[in-house]
Amino acid sequence: MSDQNIFDKLQNIDRRVFYWVLFITLMVPFIYPIGLPVKVVQNTRDLYEGITGDNINPGDIAIMNFGYGVSAWSECAPGFTVCAKALFREGARIVFMGSQYDVELSMNKLMNDAREDFANKVYGVDYVFLGYFTGGESAIAQLATDAWTVYPSDHYVTPDAQIPLMQDFHGWQDVTVVLSSDTGDVGSYFLRQWQGSHGTRLAEIGIAMNGSTDYPYYLAGNYFGLSIGSRGGAELEVLIREPGEATTAMDSINASHLLIVLAVILANVGYLLSRRKA
Amino acid sequence: MSNILKREAVFAVTGLVTVLMFVEYFFFPQDWIVASTIRNWAVIIYNISLGLGGVRLIQQHVMGTQRRKENWQFSALFLVAFVVMLLTGLAGYLGTGVATSNGIYNWLFVNVYTPLGSTAYAITGFYIFSAAYRAFRARNLDAALMLVAGCFVILSNAPVGEVIWSGIPAIGEWFRFVGQVPGMRAFEVVGALGMIAYGFRALLGKERGFYAGGAEE
Repeated sequence: MSDQNIFDKLQNIDRRVFYWVLFITLMVPFIYPIGLPVKVVQNTRDLYEGITGDNINPGDIAIMNFGYGVSAWSECAPGFTVCAKALFREGARIVFMGSQYDVELSMNKLMNDAREDFANKVYGVDYVFLGYFTGGESAIAQLATDAWTVYPSDHYVTPDAQIPLMQDFHGWQDVTVVLSSDTGDVGSYFLRQWQGSHGTRLAEIGIAMNGSTDYPYYLAGNYFGLSIGSRGGAELEVLIREPGEATTAMDSINASHLLIVLAVILANVGYLLSRRKA
Repeated sequence: MSNILKREAVFAVTGLVTVLMFVEYFFFPQDWIVASTIRNWAVIIYNISLGLGGVRLIQQHVMGTQRRKENWQFSALFLVAFVVMLLTGLAGYLGTGVATSNGIYNWLFVNVYTPLGSTAYAITGFYIFSAAYRAFRARNLDAALMLVAGCFVILSNAPVGEVIWSGIPAIGEWFRFVGQVPGMRAFEVVGALGMIAYGFRALLGKERGFYAGGAEE
């Protein structure tokens, strides 16, 4: 190792150095926030406009699917929270459900993050939490045709027959809009079994990694809107004019993204110069 | 008999279900009770398979612990965690219908599971950072192009990109929508066509791997 020149060293920096540099870089913005402006892109704007204004009426039923677990809270929860707030403020009724077994934790977080909006709503009338479902795409298909067979009761084991909101929700015909927030495939199940089959309006609040998979469906009109990762969440917070978790996280996103590019440049400078020397 | 059950019966059930789903899609746009019932069965079978998965998991880890296989301590820890979560969750469920109403279960979920889940996800950022540094090398023209595109897309995804240069978001968006989307479309369309072909082969009995565990005809 000692006979390495500077170019070799640039290419072979110990990974622990990077871990520490990244850790410190991520911490600094939390202590000294930078607050760069977040520009709203069209796919996020389409999502927000699709659930507000003329596109939603008081009393409309929206499905919001928690397709993410606690591990993806940072990416999905902020956008999901803004959408729930926006729908509630338009007077829509929301059916919450989830394909992750820790869905209750995500629901509790949502109720905490949007507590002022939930405070004005009545459980069972304005919103209902159906809880966890299994059955993959078959369950989503069945939800479209006969929702009560997938969920005979809500998460708190109250039978559907005793829940006022469920009297108006039996299948796809009753639903105005579906918002699915996923780390996996559930959004595509809704896409095939609801949007494709019945033309239900559908939007996705996904993780950044799934952005490349989701864009073609957004551009084709299958998704009327699309929020991607923490950035999408921050854009939604800009649109609703309530900075939240995602806006705070943007500083760290800025720092980490910039650092990755700098590291790649550093490694390549070392690589190209060492090759020229050889 | 076992061959009939393993091959012909599975083949017949698969074929029948497929035909029924086709019939519903094309002739019953609202709902068809037959297809709806079968979908309900699918959901039930899915749930049973989850239970079977749990049983198999326990078997595997009990065996690992008993025989002191490599890393058996993790297996033992898994079994303890499994039993504790199962019993406390059941206690909550039997009491109020909600597992998290049990204090121990809820405490473990909120204070152990949640931070572990978040940490596991966040830690990938550190690996990606290190991996990007090691793997993204401009060894040839193709790699150099990918590297440049990657850097623009990364910077366009963060507000700082626009601060550095106002053209970065536009270029990143161009790579995303003009460069990447057509490729992804082709990938998804080809994948869907492949699924159709696979479905037909399965229906015709030519794709035997999924039910007979053997080679195709």
